[in-house]
Amino acid sequence: MNSIERIRAATGFERPDRVPVIAQVFGHAAVLSGVSLRDYLRDGDLLARCQIKALQRYGYDTVFALMDTSVETEAVGSILTYPPDQYPHVKSYALSDAGNLEGLSLPDPQRSGRMPELLKAVRRLRQEVGDEVLVVGCVSGPMTVAVQLLGMETALYLAIDHPERFARLLDFSAQVAIRFATAQIEAGAHLPLVFDPCASPAVIPPQFFREFELPRLRTLFTALKAAGAAASWLHIAGPVVPILPLYPQCGVDIANFDYCVSALDARKALPHTCLDGNIKPLAFVEATPEMIAEASSRLLTEFASRGGFILSSGCEIPPEAKPENVAAMVAAAGGR
Amino acid sequence: MNIPSMDTLVKALLDGDQTGALDEVRNLRDVGVERERIITQGVEKAMARLDAKCTVEQFNLLEIMLSGRAVMGVIKELYPPNAPLPRTKATVVVGTLEGDVHDLGKNVLKGVLTASGYRVVDCGKDCPVGQMIDAAEREAALAISVSGLITTVIPQVRTLRSKITAKGLGHIKMMAGGAALKQSSPESLNVDFVGDTAFDGLHYLDQITGGEQ
Repeated sequence: MNSIERIRAATGFERPDRVPVIAQVFGHAAVLSGVSLRDYLRDGDLLARCQIKALQRYGYDTVFALMDTSVETEAVGSILTYPPDQYPHVKSYALSDAGNLEGLSLPDPQRSGRMPELLKAVRRLRQEVGDEVLVVGCVSGPMTVAVQLLGMETALYLAIDHPERFARLLDFSAQVAIRFATAQIEAGAHLPLVFDPCASPAVIPPQFFREFELPRLRTLFTALKAAGAAASWLHIAGPVVPILPLYPQCGVDIANFDYCVSALDARKALPHTCLDGNIKPLAFVEATPEMIAEASSRLLTEFASRGGFILSSGCEIPPEAKPENVAAMVAAAGGR
Repeated sequence: MNIPSMDTLVKALLDGDQTGALDEVRNLRDVGVERERIITQGVEKAMARLDAKCTVEQFNLLEIMLSGRAVMGVIKELYPPNAPLPRTKATVVVGTLEGDVHDLGKNVLKGVLTASGYRVVDCGKDCPVGQMIDAAEREAALAISVSGLITTVIPQVRTLRSKITAKGLGHIKMMAGGAALKQSSPESLNVDFVGDTAFDGLHYLDQITGGEQ
């Protein structure tokens, strides 16, 4: 089996030749190649080259055309600061005034901000790996785009003080995600990961997720399926147990679970959905390869009879991770 | 004379209803309730309820921020900038370390500690370790609490103890929290305490102070 067949088998609860392994290697690929994160995140060709190098080194099942959670907000008009070796942050928000929603216009993925660079990375990666390895793009989910347009505090207060206005902002954010993700599929991504950290129960209560986020995620995943996405993959970090049962209503095929969620709880909440997770991200920096191998082996055993599992970290593997730890996770999946 | 109930105020604070909370504070003041009583029996009671509700699974930023906004509104109403400060349990220096601009978690901690009787000196975000230590010395702080959302600040956290000790301030407690730091341990970070939530930090400080003002 190649990587795509392997992941397809896991998603469909069939038996792959081995459990697929997705190391969430994003900025770590830049560090591996000795490239500054600032350059990696602004140059699609460079990003693709670093991803291919990381793939050749580790031999896992995906490559990521993924920059950061500020791509969308920058494309809409936010100004970012790019430290040399860290992810950028917003210096001034596109929506400085929560009452000015009408002034926003949808970005054009072919022209706005770094979106064209990300599409370039997608094309290069697909040219390199074809249909052997899964090419994963990325868009921020509606809640995360909304937060990145306004700032967390202003966005959350808007949600409570003016829920109808916030709902309009979320609709706009969902449209941004649909446009960008569709362009990624057209450029050659097998699927765009929907990364929505701000929809975590650590940020919003589950009933808020159900009312505000779920309908927009459903709209987003329906659009992506229609555009040809191989699967719908939702990534929300943190204590997601209360919202996992809602994922099937959003159309999710692959659900990420973070280190703070037990494999048992994730399995109980989503008995028929493929899960990916959940080694603690910081362990790739602080632990030893033996500890990573043991954590991987525990997970593989827990999912051995059920299937529907992709071995992964709970969230991004930090850029400064020890390469031998990433290799230990990949090695653990061999033959399992 | 009947002692006015604090129930309406506590409920408004828990609901994150700032307007309702401020209205009720004014009502209480109009009937002669002392500021200190409003804090200890209203604000601190609400914080204790919120604490009980906020287990790790149920801790969410939205509800905490709404209650925090209402609480801070009440504190400002009771103690305008020029009013004498109430007696506090201790002083705590908080900050987000250099290279990290995510200060929401630090702000939540500041709100929880302020509402629970601590004086908080806020060093802001992107703050060098040395600046926090200077503030702790100047303000005779009981503790320094560093916050980090990104793992790259960890090496800075590990320098805290030696820098504090070098200045002869070894008595100052060192606390850490935030999405990245909470994945680690006190031993690994070389600090006294690592908390999952802002309330964990409060409990740790209350253990040291005995929770007394």
